Amino acid sequence: MEAQVPSLPPVQARKSLQASDRRSGYGLLSPAILVIAVVTLFPIVYSVFMSLNDIQLTTSGYKMSFIGLKNYGVLVNSGVFWHSVWFTVYYAIVTVIVELVLGMLIALAIQNVQRLQGVSIVVMLIPWSLITVISAQMWGYIYNGVYGVLNYIVTSLHIVSQPVTWLGTPVSAVISMMVADIWKTTPFVVIILVSGLQMIPKDYYEAAYIDGANKWEVFWNITFPLLRGSISLAALFRILQAFGVFDLPFVLTNGGPGNSTESLAMLGETSLFQNLHFGIGASIAVSTVILVLAVCLIFLSAFRSMVEGDAA
Amino acid sequence: MIQSRTQRVIGWVVLILFLIIILLPFYWMFITSFKPNMDIGAYPPSLFPRHWTFAHYTNAFVKFGFAKYIINSVIVAVITTFLVLALASMAGFSIARLPIRAKTPTLIGLLIISVFPPIAVITPLYMILRQIGWLNSYQALIVPYTAFNLPFAIWILRNYFLQVPGALLEAAKIDGATIFQTFYRIFLPLTTPGLFTAAVFTFVAAWTEFFMALVFNSSDNMRTIPVGIALFSGQFNIPYGDIFAGSIVSIVPIVILVIIFRRWIVAGLTAGAVKG
Repeated sequence: MEAQVPSLPPVQARKSLQASDRRSGYGLLSPAILVIAVVTLFPIVYSVFMSLNDIQLTTSGYKMSFIGLKNYGVLVNSGVFWHSVWFTVYYAIVTVIVELVLGMLIALAIQNVQRLQGVSIVVMLIPWSLITVISAQMWGYIYNGVYGVLNYIVTSLHIVSQPVTWLGTPVSAVISMMVADIWKTTPFVVIILVSGLQMIPKDYYEAAYIDGANKWEVFWNITFPLLRGSISLAALFRILQAFGVFDLPFVLTNGGPGNSTESLAMLGETSLFQNLHFGIGASIAVSTVILVLAVCLIFLSAFRSMVEGDAA
Repeated sequence: MIQSRTQRVIGWVVLILFLIIILLPFYWMFITSFKPNMDIGAYPPSLFPRHWTFAHYTNAFVKFGFAKYIINSVIVAVITTFLVLALASMAGFSIARLPIRAKTPTLIGLLIISVFPPIAVITPLYMILRQIGWLNSYQALIVPYTAFNLPFAIWILRNYFLQVPGALLEAAKIDGATIFQTFYRIFLPLTTPGLFTAAVFTFVAAWTEFFMALVFNSSDNMRTIPVGIALFSGQFNIPYGDIFAGSIVSIVPIVILVIIFRRWIVAGLTAGAVKG
């Protein structure tokens, strides 16, 4: 039997086929987009609306009354809020820079003896897969001022003479928290950088060494420029992720001592679910969104000028 | 590659030191979970347990009901993973291989959404969940986790679908297959590695998430492992032995997962290089 030949002229047939493919495409895409829109986009927009209201919990739901920008007025005049913005920003920047620099040094050292498989890759992936709350409890025990093992190590090595209450003073609490974060995330950065390094063709290096370049020159003229794109992207995502930091201070320091380790997310959680200030909580959420968008824009423009700089 | 002996020696030394620094805290947590309370609070601490006890493990399960936290975490993480795979594979196929409009804006939009911190959505989500009576339920976590993990999964799967030759689509069409049949029977089996990567990233994210789990499911019966471990508390002291016993039990399955799926995790980290 002969196959049925479509009676439409070829061009028209292809067009209608294309249209039906497109409809199927939207059909397959829409469930995912719908879930994302309902759970992320709609709440962000709703947050803006909530932040302009005074919200009282009632037994059946909520009572909202429009108060304009008053919630933001409270925030702007609050030292606690500005402290948490400042803490969140410098915590994100310092930890990510340390993780990248340390990660790069380790990656450069081990790239020739590490093929990203076997035992060592499993070990490096374990902190990535670790529940942050567990790592926070673990470090809390290590840092304990009375019986913590860290005090035992540093006093035995005569680095300090008296045990230190690591989580007891603002500066040491911030540093202790950063160390816990760096311990958990650096292995992940190392994996990304080692795989990036191994993708650079070996003959680039050979050519440079034949031309008499030293290691430092090779790093700055070959390795770094070729990795710059992936480093910037990884840095951007890590910084934005660090902006949401919550689990670690919640368990390790509970934001203290005082409010020295209180991140924006922790402040938001406190005003929402402990003080039930939903309007204030929403305005903290909106401020976080604005901060995230601002960082994205700064990065994008820096990245673009970097790319244009390369082209010039 | 020009490579000296010293370079290799330095490489090995750094690698081994690095692995030891990663593992030491785990060692400490592990032996602490077997020490009697007297030794846990002792100073100077004993670097090897002098007396072994299994009491913290029984405490974690009998006194704190750790088994129900594990069950809750497994239910939430497994269902989330299946939902993400189903929705993300369809969406990834559509973006990679079908003539839909606005592909680039969709991809960039997904990328931006994937970096928003949960605090941005947690207030309105809480109010909505309270209104519809979903607080302290599995779906209160499954639905948000699905949404938050979809963007990365769509990106990964789109990249894998792009590697399958587009000619297969035309060939299947000539044979009379519908688009969905083509996707399900021909393309999906060819992207198994991408599915593994998306699955393990989603599972780990759902297994480790704390903020939403704490806020939406705070009643003891509905707590997941992270919430349970964060809220373990004693009357006078932090019960570190019991906390670490529960922690060790919940680390084991994930370590097995990492050992099995390490190839696909590395593939995801290096391809996406975006998710922590």
